[in-house]
Amino acid sequence: MLGRFSLRGRVMLAYGLLALGLSTVLSVVTWSVVSDYLVQQREAAAETITVDNAAALRYGLFGPPEPCRPSHERVECDSPTLQKGVSVTELMNSLPATDAAASMLYLEDHWYSLTGKPSDLPPDMIQDAIGGNVVQRRIDVGGQPVLAVGVPIGRQGDAFFEWHPLNSLDATLQRMKITLIAAAIATALLGLAVGRLASTLALRPLAELTRVADHVARGKLDARLQAENDKDLGGLARSFNQTAAALERRVAADARFAGDVSHELRTPLMTMLNSMQLIQNHRAELPAAVREPVELLGDDLDRFRRLVIDLLEISRDDGGDRGSREIVRIADLVRAAADAAAGREVTDVEPEAEGLTLQADKRRLERVIANLVENAEDHAGGCKGVGVAAGGLGVVITVDDAGPGIAVEDRTRIFERFGRGEMSSRGRGVGLGLAIVARHVEWHHGTIQVTDRPGGGARFVVELPAKIS
Amino acid sequence: MSDTGRVAHSLLLVDDEPRIRRVLRLALEDEGYQVAEAANGYDALAALRREPPDVVLLDLMLPDRDGFTVCREIRRASDVPVIMVTARTDSHDVVAGLEAGADDYVTKPLVAKELSARIRALLRRVEPANARQADLLEIGDLRIDVPGAEVTRDGAVLPLTRTEFKLLAELAGAEGKVLSREQLLSKVWGYGYFGDSRIVDVHIRRLRLKIERDPASPKHLVTARGLGYRLVS
Repeated sequence: MLGRFSLRGRVMLAYGLLALGLSTVLSVVTWSVVSDYLVQQREAAAETITVDNAAALRYGLFGPPEPCRPSHERVECDSPTLQKGVSVTELMNSLPATDAAASMLYLEDHWYSLTGKPSDLPPDMIQDAIGGNVVQRRIDVGGQPVLAVGVPIGRQGDAFFEWHPLNSLDATLQRMKITLIAAAIATALLGLAVGRLASTLALRPLAELTRVADHVARGKLDARLQAENDKDLGGLARSFNQTAAALERRVAADARFAGDVSHELRTPLMTMLNSMQLIQNHRAELPAAVREPVELLGDDLDRFRRLVIDLLEISRDDGGDRGSREIVRIADLVRAAADAAAGREVTDVEPEAEGLTLQADKRRLERVIANLVENAEDHAGGCKGVGVAAGGLGVVITVDDAGPGIAVEDRTRIFERFGRGEMSSRGRGVGLGLAIVARHVEWHHGTIQVTDRPGGGARFVVELPAKIS
Repeated sequence: MSDTGRVAHSLLLVDDEPRIRRVLRLALEDEGYQVAEAANGYDALAALRREPPDVVLLDLMLPDRDGFTVCREIRRASDVPVIMVTARTDSHDVVAGLEAGADDYVTKPLVAKELSARIRALLRRVEPANARQADLLEIGDLRIDVPGAEVTRDGAVLPLTRTEFKLLAELAGAEGKVLSREQLLSKVWGYGYFGDSRIVDVHIRRLRLKIERDPASPKHLVTARGLGYRLVS
């Protein structure tokens, strides 16, 4: 189930849950300890107040206590007697103001009450207090929680009762509860944040790995990981770097091989080409029977020459040729290259495109235009026109042909080396021409794509970053 | 096919590959040239002294000493046009070869027909752009004798090669107007739009060394930035 989350998400979640768990435990412990303590304090304070009040009352009712006389068996105190002319109600009114919400006195089978109704007190509590015990009990009076305290006041059958509201304590406990829950949530969130930070820190090498791997995937084969000395990631970094280095060597070796092969091919090719030219110069002198084979040989020799030149072109780029850049009027270049390649005027330049210039390698751009036009001429029913217009990245060059068009699924493959597409109807062609076109366009930071020409055939669209100057 | 009634141009072919020499000789002879061969730099220089050719075709990859040295030695001995053969157009070889004194370059694989076009362009007579212009052009203290293919300053002849002279004569014929690299490539070397403009730049540099009193800050042969070059008095 965790698999649905990212690695970072999982680390965050773990930290968050851990923090939530810890803070919950801490909160619960804090709650129980603090609330117990607060309740005990409250109960002790309430009892003290009531006991003090009872003592004051006793003094008022019975006068100063007489010392107890020692008897033969035990110390015996006289039952005190009520002083003359004492107003019980006045006496109770004179008690110091406390937080007590009700004061009631049970004296000589009679209830004296300032506030509160004795009927709210549980009968067994009254009995207990009259019996000579200090008692306290949580009760409900009018829906409010109160702590009732009963204290004997010196004579059998008499007792003093008070109750103390617990509202403020409950409110305090409520506040504490909310605070603790909020703290638990905040801790959990903090845990998530720490988890995020930690995972970001821990995953930073992974992000670096992703970045470098992406570079390598996009052909920047000299990209390397820096983390080789990292204790945890060194192994991975070293393996990755070794793989990338091996790949780089391999690609360089491939490029060198192509370069070497075509280099070696040039000498025999020169011999063959020049010999063939000689033979063709004297075509009229050839016996009729060999004229056609010679023609075939000449055609294929020419194709062979193109292939070697294309291979050299590709290996030159693989070898990291930086080329030269100069300011070029793109309309002039396209016109010169396209018309020469087609052997007739095929170029149509929009007036706005005439002044556009570009920092370009003339030789490479010439190959782009010439290859596209030759491709149309040789394999696609002839070039139907070359357009130069302002727009896109700066200038848009279109090369139209009269062939069957290119199937949608072949539209990227045709720009790969020897990737001429599934259909054989495009016939011969060595399959490097369009790959060279794509590379050279990319070299100029342009784009190339192939679409349908309105009215049938294919349209190659090259966009180059040209500007008015 | 050789033109009857015209003396065939002679060519010295310097290449260490016997098969290349053989096939190029056959093909170039068929194009109407007289071809002599040399397998290395020593032979080339000896042949040059013995019987000066109209054009030298020099492979830069020579075994005994490198083609650049041979090219410089040829230049020291003669102003004969030199076409060098390189493997790749993008390498430093092209500029280095031009700096060493080559007039033009061709790349392998090389076909006699293309080579013939280059040779014809190099051997073509100079025809200054402005026909009304006299045979004698004066630019500052330079006197350019077009038919005599000679440039003098204070009566002393400046040692220009044929190509350098042609370049100077074209610029002088333009009467102070700017000529673009493409125009110069076409007029002097017979190239179309896609000629290598480095050829022009290197030749301009060499020409300045010979005609300017201070080549670092040229007074006559000035650059029109982004446009080309012009010659002013």
